[in-house]
Amino acid sequence: METSPLAKTLWGLFGTVSMLFLLSPIALVVIFSFGENRLATLPMGGLTFKWYGKLMADPNFWSALENSLIVTLSVGAISTVIGTAAAMALARWRPGAASAAMMTLSLPVMMPPLVLALALATSLSSLGLRFGLHTVIPSHLVFTQPFVILIVYAQMANFNFAMLESARDLGASPWHAFFTIVLPNIRSTLIGAALIAMSVSLDDFIITFFTIGNGMTLPTLVWGMLRTALDPSINALGTLILIATITSSVIALSITRYRG
Amino acid sequence: MSELGRHRWPALPAFAVFGLLFVGPLAFFLVVSFWRLRAYKLVPDFTLDNYLDVWNEYLHAAIFTLSISLLIAIITTVIGLMIAYLARFRAGRYGNLILFVVLVTLFGGYLVKIYAWKTILGTGGILNSTLVDLGLIDEPLAWLLYSPTAVVITLVNFLLPFAVLPIYGSLRGIDEVPLAAARDLGASGARVFRDIVLPQCKPGLFAAFAVSFLITAGDYVTPRLVGGPNTFMAGNFIESQFINRLNAPIGSALSYAMLIGCGLVLLLFQRALTRVLRPR
Repeated sequence: METSPLAKTLWGLFGTVSMLFLLSPIALVVIFSFGENRLATLPMGGLTFKWYGKLMADPNFWSALENSLIVTLSVGAISTVIGTAAAMALARWRPGAASAAMMTLSLPVMMPPLVLALALATSLSSLGLRFGLHTVIPSHLVFTQPFVILIVYAQMANFNFAMLESARDLGASPWHAFFTIVLPNIRSTLIGAALIAMSVSLDDFIITFFTIGNGMTLPTLVWGMLRTALDPSINALGTLILIATITSSVIALSITRYRG
Repeated sequence: MSELGRHRWPALPAFAVFGLLFVGPLAFFLVVSFWRLRAYKLVPDFTLDNYLDVWNEYLHAAIFTLSISLLIAIITTVIGLMIAYLARFRAGRYGNLILFVVLVTLFGGYLVKIYAWKTILGTGGILNSTLVDLGLIDEPLAWLLYSPTAVVITLVNFLLPFAVLPIYGSLRGIDEVPLAAARDLGASGARVFRDIVLPQCKPGLFAAFAVSFLITAGDYVTPRLVGGPNTFMAGNFIESQFINRLNAPIGSALSYAMLIGCGLVLLLFQRALTRVLRPR
């Protein structure tokens, strides 16, 4: 479309301002995590790693990191397996039925997290379950699997099922056919889907908070630090979480076709 | 095994997770909203008292929450539409860069972003000190933090990526040939946008609005951290019923009352959108 110079300038201005608006909170946390000053104000003082040192000296950090790793890796692995199986099945359905099924399975992403968290906490405790990582992991699956299903389904839409049929006709078992024909074709998509599921899980605070009991993950540690005195090592912790989630989503986006 | 049966079972685990950890808990949670609490124990019952209590005690909070959610969802959808439109039609080679920034800010940093805004908006924060240094204001603006304004800024910032992506998804499918044809036949840019572009991104606009609205209406962390003492949203009351008063029946009645309110707003929004975008 042709554009007048004035419109071009205005759109350029809007683009710059909106991108700054999106990025500023993230950028700020990262920058201040290396700043000498106690308060997050300008000028930020000299460059330092002392907040990272302080964080590393905190035993809570290590236990939260361990819990986060257990939850994130389990959720990533389980939701990738379950989600891929579902996407493979849905790819053979009529498109209308498949998209209705995906809309349904995606409802947990639309539900306000607080309501889902309290529903899960009330139900799990009325079943007499003790809370811990074993209640957090299944609770995460319900809102990470939709991402895997959507991403893998988008890839399977281009998959040539005739290859699979021929393998089956030539006597391959369903599992053998899956591992030799399907998996090599969609490996990078699966890695991408797993990484997205992991960043969603790693970042979750509300559902984790209500289903974990006494333990801590990195976001619930952030919450605890926010409620105590002003502690700049929170910027260091925030930076580490951002690095983990952003790196994995950037890798995921560059190896899958998923674009929202 | 039949053809259909063979393609059904791999989807079973996903539906089992959905049934056991979404439908089941929400159904039980609904049932609890009709129960009573006696000596901190849930007692099965069928009473509407919890809903009456919610109506009497929390109506103002519910209306405030729905109003601020509506405001935030509208702002987010409009800015989201502008960013998506910019990335699709106006930004040329920068379009992909914009999309990249949006995707990078989508995953991760919910709590981190909220407390970052606390440091940006405070009286000694970056925004105020910059404005003072530039001489635009004489003293720091105290109302930037611990106010509904702070909640609006923080949530719009957090929700924008969720709004841009579905709208961009709708815009991506728009064929440019009819747009050029309409321009050649003398339609103004505004007319082309209103009559060709907007009607085609209705599903994206609805998705953007729905996500922003629902997440805001259920949020309690943002009002708690940046909203100050006078910005209590329904989520804060729901959370405090559980954490401080251990009263699950009232909390779940309030949750379901809010969900019904949200459903009504979304229905109205969809009808309004259909009416506004009807081809002339």
